[in-house]
Amino acid sequence: MTTTSAPSDDPRIELDRDLGVFEPVPPYPPRTEREAEFYTLGDGQMFINVGPQHPSTHGVLRVVLKIDGEKVVDLDPVLGYLHRGVEKLCENADYHQAICYTDPLEYVSSLFTEWSPVIAFEKLMDVQVPRRAEYIRVLSSELNRIASHALFLGWMALDLGGLTPILWSFIERDEIVDMLAALTGQRMLFNYFRIGGVNGDLNHEFMSRLGDWMSRAAEQIEAGNGLLNENEIFVRRMRGLGTIDAKTALRMVMTGPNLRASGVPFDVRRAHPYSVFPELEFDIPTRSEGDCLARYLLRMDEIKQSLRIIDQCLHQMPDGPVMAKLPRLMRPRPGRAYAAIEGPRGQLSTYAISDGTDQPFRMRIHDPSFIHLQSVGLMMPGHLIADTMAVMASLDPIMGGVDK
Amino acid sequence: MDRRFKVRLEARFGEQLTGPIRQRHDETEMRIGPGDVVAILTALHDEPELGFEFLSDLAGVDTGKVMQVVYHLWSETTTDWLRVVADGLSRDDPRAPSVTFLWKGAEWMEREAYDMFGITFEGNRDLRRIYMPPDYQSFPLRKDFYLADDAARSPGGGVRPMERSHVPSNAPSKALVRQIPT
Repeated sequence: MTTTSAPSDDPRIELDRDLGVFEPVPPYPPRTEREAEFYTLGDGQMFINVGPQHPSTHGVLRVVLKIDGEKVVDLDPVLGYLHRGVEKLCENADYHQAICYTDPLEYVSSLFTEWSPVIAFEKLMDVQVPRRAEYIRVLSSELNRIASHALFLGWMALDLGGLTPILWSFIERDEIVDMLAALTGQRMLFNYFRIGGVNGDLNHEFMSRLGDWMSRAAEQIEAGNGLLNENEIFVRRMRGLGTIDAKTALRMVMTGPNLRASGVPFDVRRAHPYSVFPELEFDIPTRSEGDCLARYLLRMDEIKQSLRIIDQCLHQMPDGPVMAKLPRLMRPRPGRAYAAIEGPRGQLSTYAISDGTDQPFRMRIHDPSFIHLQSVGLMMPGHLIADTMAVMASLDPIMGGVDK
Repeated sequence: MDRRFKVRLEARFGEQLTGPIRQRHDETEMRIGPGDVVAILTALHDEPELGFEFLSDLAGVDTGKVMQVVYHLWSETTTDWLRVVADGLSRDDPRAPSVTFLWKGAEWMEREAYDMFGITFEGNRDLRRIYMPPDYQSFPLRKDFYLADDAARSPGGGVRPMERSHVPSNAPSKALVRQIPT
């Protein structure tokens, strides 16, 4: 059946054929120290394969769990099922086309994945972005952050077996997504940010929908949170699960809500301000527990801060153009630029190199989901198999970004 | 741009730098040899007056002539991003020390650089392919990898016409490698 060693008293199931492609143990000798260590079974241990098609993996992810009874001993995520080679595609596209390739990386928060390459390219070309465009970017992306966090809440509850929260959070998300569709013309992959500004000014439909929604958003979100915040089953299950302390989180180079839930107040919007964030007032919520519950509650606090930012944007929005005057064909002079932004999952960054042609020479995209997924292995040992889904959901990875 | 930061870096690492420190926008760039990576990054991470506790990004780069490993770091002590470029890795056998002893989370980023560029990170205990299948032979983000040629060897290697633009069919193979002026 498998190539694994098992204790002699282990009752083996006899199969008359091979198990097929998703047998947990790879059909070749171990390539590295770690792989050899992982794929050697101790006494009473066994492997179990989760995915690549599994509802709790938020995309196409395969995880090999090494278990002892019901307890997880170690795990090995196997990536690459969604790998499209976005970086290579961007090198073969011009600067405008490259932006729309980055859209589907984090497909629930596309405005953020557009934003970091746009800033990097603007730095390469020394473009000054009009202030109104910067405000529109902040406004639309904070809306997108709320939509993304709302979806996080729904997905996480769904992974734990609760169906109601996802139906409630989709109400919020749908309203925001409809608003953004009125603004950008798309519901998911917006392709709205341009080098030097945004594609199109705020319009009447967007503003009236936004005004309508803002008047009841805080109340509605609070009501949705009440479903989980006051749910004893949920709270007792999430508390103390998947704990990671501040020092380890920094060593694992975690960012965003997952790092702040461990007590490190690192937010790129404040740590290395970009756009108009220095002019806006908002707090950086942190929590010290570093467990799944803290990561959930922290995101709910972030929604409130996003509402504050949106409110300020609406009040401070200056008049003026939304695009800088730029040539159609862009050939920045040779150079390098790095830009990082705070996405809903953490720091998203782009490192772009120009060689003087109209295509980026190298475009590196750093995605927070990729980084966070590798720390699941640190959080899991000692917990139950069913908790793998809870821990993974609390880190909120998007496989489009993990696999690039 | 943090001018005083440049002076501080020059005073601390003067002899180990292999090129001038460059600053543009909110970025400071220093170039070092691959042999100094461990010493310099440890100093940047540990010394309180530098305090670069946060590894923001780790990327491999193929310049067409040499390979590079590029680290982006963040610290409270400066308003700039610090870019450390470990320059001059040979394209035939690129080797760089691993930084997983400082940031365990660099492990997957190094695996990605290995997968895409073939850079061997000495000291990384899990250096296997991460995106491409284990029996894959080439390194897709290298500049001498052309979708039209190399990908065709793997199953289902269809290429869209747009991606062919860099490969004139009659060009000599040496000229195909796109390079950046240094």
